Amino acid sequence: MTIATEASQAAAAPARPQRRGPARDFRATRWGWAYSAPAVLVFLAFVIVPTGYTFYVSLWKWNALNPALSKFKGLGNYQRLWDATQPTFLSSLWHSLYFTGAMVIGGTAISLALALLLQRGGALLNGTRVAVFLPHATPVIATSMIWTWIFNYKFGLADWALHSLHLPTSQWLQSSSSAMPAVVIYSLWHEVGFTTVVFLGGLAMLSDELSEAARVDGCSAWQEFWHVTWQQLKPVTVFVVAITAITSLQAFTQFYQLANGGPAYATTTLSYLVYEEAFVFSDTGYGAALAVVLFAVTVFFTLVRRRTASGDSHALV
Amino acid sequence: MRKRISAAAGLAALALTATACAGGGTSTPKSDAAAGAKSTGGTGTGTGTGTGTELAVPTGPVTITFEEAMTIGTLKPAMDKLVADFQAKYPNITVKLQGEPDYATMYTKEKAEVQAGNAPTIGQAYESWASYFQSSGVLAPISELAGTDTPPQLSTFYKGIQDDTKLPDGKTWMWPFNKSVLILFYNADLMAKDGQSEPKTWDDYASVMKAVSKDGVTGSTIDPGSATAAAFGTQWFEILAKANGAALYDKDGTPHLNDPNVVKALQYMKDLKDANALATGKNYPGETALGAQKGMFDISSAAGYGFENKTVGGKFKLGITALPAGPAGAVNELTGTNIVVFKSASADQKAAAWAFLKFITSPEEQAGWAATSGYLPVTSQALDQPALKDFIAKNPYETAAVSELDTAFALPGFSWIFKCQGYEATAIQEALENGKQPADALGTAQSACAAAKAQG
Amino acid sequence: MSGPRASRGMAGASRAGRYARRVLAVLIGAAFVFPFYWTVVISLGRPGEFSSFPPVLLPHWDWSNWSRAWHSAPWLRLFGNTVLIASCTVVLCLVTSLLAGFAFGVLRFPGRKFLSLVVLSVLMMPGTVLIIPDYVLANDLHLLNTYWIQIIPWGASVFGIFLVRQFFLTMPAEILDAAALDGASRLRFLRSIGIPMVRPALVIIAINVFLGSWNSFLWPVIMTNTNMESGDTVQPIEVGLSTFASAEGTDFPGLAAAVTFTTLPVMIFFLLLQRQFIRGALSAAGGVRG
Repeated sequence: MTIATEASQAAAAPARPQRRGPARDFRATRWGWAYSAPAVLVFLAFVIVPTGYTFYVSLWKWNALNPALSKFKGLGNYQRLWDATQPTFLSSLWHSLYFTGAMVIGGTAISLALALLLQRGGALLNGTRVAVFLPHATPVIATSMIWTWIFNYKFGLADWALHSLHLPTSQWLQSSSSAMPAVVIYSLWHEVGFTTVVFLGGLAMLSDELSEAARVDGCSAWQEFWHVTWQQLKPVTVFVVAITAITSLQAFTQFYQLANGGPAYATTTLSYLVYEEAFVFSDTGYGAALAVVLFAVTVFFTLVRRRTASGDSHALV
Repeated sequence: MRKRISAAAGLAALALTATACAGGGTSTPKSDAAAGAKSTGGTGTGTGTGTGTELAVPTGPVTITFEEAMTIGTLKPAMDKLVADFQAKYPNITVKLQGEPDYATMYTKEKAEVQAGNAPTIGQAYESWASYFQSSGVLAPISELAGTDTPPQLSTFYKGIQDDTKLPDGKTWMWPFNKSVLILFYNADLMAKDGQSEPKTWDDYASVMKAVSKDGVTGSTIDPGSATAAAFGTQWFEILAKANGAALYDKDGTPHLNDPNVVKALQYMKDLKDANALATGKNYPGETALGAQKGMFDISSAAGYGFENKTVGGKFKLGITALPAGPAGAVNELTGTNIVVFKSASADQKAAAWAFLKFITSPEEQAGWAATSGYLPVTSQALDQPALKDFIAKNPYETAAVSELDTAFALPGFSWIFKCQGYEATAIQEALENGKQPADALGTAQSACAAAKAQG
Repeated sequence: MSGPRASRGMAGASRAGRYARRVLAVLIGAAFVFPFYWTVVISLGRPGEFSSFPPVLLPHWDWSNWSRAWHSAPWLRLFGNTVLIASCTVVLCLVTSLLAGFAFGVLRFPGRKFLSLVVLSVLMMPGTVLIIPDYVLANDLHLLNTYWIQIIPWGASVFGIFLVRQFFLTMPAEILDAAALDGASRLRFLRSIGIPMVRPALVIIAINVFLGSWNSFLWPVIMTNTNMESGDTVQPIEVGLSTFASAEGTDFPGLAAAVTFTTLPVMIFFLLLQRQFIRGALSAAGGVRG
């Protein structure tokens, strides 16, 4: 506080002779964009320009192999979104939101709990940290293959475990009602390692003094967590929620590997539908329109989140 | 001029123009053909009936690229041998294999390469892919290589294989490659123990399935496929429907998915499921169940024999037989892909590719290929070759399998037929997993497929 | 005074709590690792064993699957490629994230908001539709079948930029003000104060980008040609895993073996780095408070 006051006084004071001009604040500069240029250039070439192209293509019945054969459709592809029945657009949107909601709530809660459990520990907890992180370090393409064996109806490991514990077994990926939960279980297994590490990083930066003060004040462990730890972890949580929400909306590989969007479209998310139309069916224009809609949905949720973040200046996304 | 036509004419009309006009394929100089790939106008050099002159094997050094997926297990050595034998015979031609891990990736990559103007010389393609490539004017018809739409080699192939090289326009656009049909694998020990015998009709099959489904054993586990990929379960459904006498699709692609005989096929599957004699899974579930001694049957490609055998791992005797028959007789469906030639290849490359295609479908090479890879020979002349004779002596099922190649069907070659197969798979899932009535599920599939056909 | 009594009580509770915590941690760790354990068991099992029921839970130490898997692809070359690609991507990503995060978090310049929105929008485009336009672009730039096409497009990370930005935003204003008062140049500030402050963010980015690069599959398969024999392949290790699946069946035990030995290096990598991560985070915390 005092430093800031002094600084503003210094800035207001006449220039000292040994410096060039007044104490220039290095933060204000016209060249700021140059610092972001390397990243922006990469994005421009490989994401933004192709995205613009996607917007353009979404207005056509596009023949990717021979663009001269393309036919202009205007908003025809978007109209088709609403007319589609197998699957309907709204069901795909719902599956995207279902998956994203489950991942955000489940993933954040589980990784925060794991981080609290595993913080400041000896070799044993250290080992568990590695164990929890390990799935994230392995390719989705390989591990989802392992999980299709685990989820195998009747003789997979998951059913075997439930059976041994005398719990009701599930059809897992084979039934429309349990397929999405199965994909969520796999995705949580794969993803929480990373968010746990992020939370561990956040926890490591917490102020010990505040916690001690809370304990001296006679706060219970829960009160201490709620009033001290959780409050300080807020920026980290915001980050975890935002990153989980966006990666979940875009998630694709596990849907492809585990369930192929089925059974009967039960795991067909918008992101999977984009793949299905653009790649498998070569309906490039329609797939592009879907991609644009998915883009809009992501932007919409980001805006809603920002609005509801009650002026949190650390809000990331 | 062409630009203006393409702007004015509709997509389908233009595709027709592209194949009907132009012509004069053989006189196209090398550089012109290569440039043709880059120019994106609605040009096509497809020759309607051929020029009557077959491309001669080039004498100078030529390299052709072959995009293929024969990258694992017994398939790879089989593929490598074809190339080695060919290069030994034509030392001036180099065949560069461009292996892809799976068919979905291969399709994506072939499309990307065509768009970027660096298509391979030849590539594996399913009928629906070929249709998409052809309608975009990026394929060279076989007539451009052979000088005729019906080269003499074609007539040596099994009838079903011959039909499968044509697209709905009636012209030959593909050359056969890794073809197979479905066959029935079973646990012979278990069957003997239960006092059952090989089913000869689909009714027999249902009763055996129900009889053996006890003590944790399920008659069979199938992969019904998904909206994006047909699987053996989807093909089994198609076979059942045809065995009931259903048309399924007309030659022009008109779907009949809610035909009573198709509904009957799905009802048949649903009854088995409801009797706990049929289960569904993913990733070769039938093979896994059979191997785990939890399944009696697995309907799979004849080419999957090596994998089945490995999964069984000698735990019991693996029985193999032809598929049962239905009221309309024995019906089987082709699996596997053909080879297409991309238009952008140079004249020399096309000539070399033609030599390669003829070479790998010759009786000698087909015999070695079939014996090593597990795929079926495309010509009956291969059966007299020593290599295949030995193989048949050890694997008697091969005789039954190849005998079906004359009658085996393939779905009409339209790019959207792929979507319709997805709707079939979804209908199977709806009926088996979600308790929907077969007629309702297939009614939905029928209207979705009709819409897909209208979309084109 | 209730203080001593309370703390004694807490000590008693915390001893029991410590044990409960350890038991819980072990159980959770085991649950997370079990699929890997099972993969190892399958990879060391006999033919046909992976499909047994009830599942076989102890390995038979049959190494034949391993040797078959090992000979199916030039793993060392692929491994070297992966390390090269992943390291270069990490370095590039750290530089671009640091600079852009600094620009968006600290600097004030016209168009800052617009540019950060542009960067943010990158996150929102589904990657699948971009692959084919990117392929065409890469072809025009003659980048197909090179290391470059596997590095440059992934050399900037929205996640990384915003993480660095966040660290700069949470930095006490006093530090920035003091540096400004001191007349520090931007680059000097970044080097002497900025980098140490955002180090934990950089470690997180490095881990994440490295893993992303390590695990990428579809991108390299499309952008490079599979050529397992010729010894000069530029493909990464994950592509090697695809040699176990085909349209007619999958070699499960072989795949299990390959998954095991391709995962081991990542495991070791994390074991080494996670300490650094925690230490880095702690030291940064110390820096903020001091």
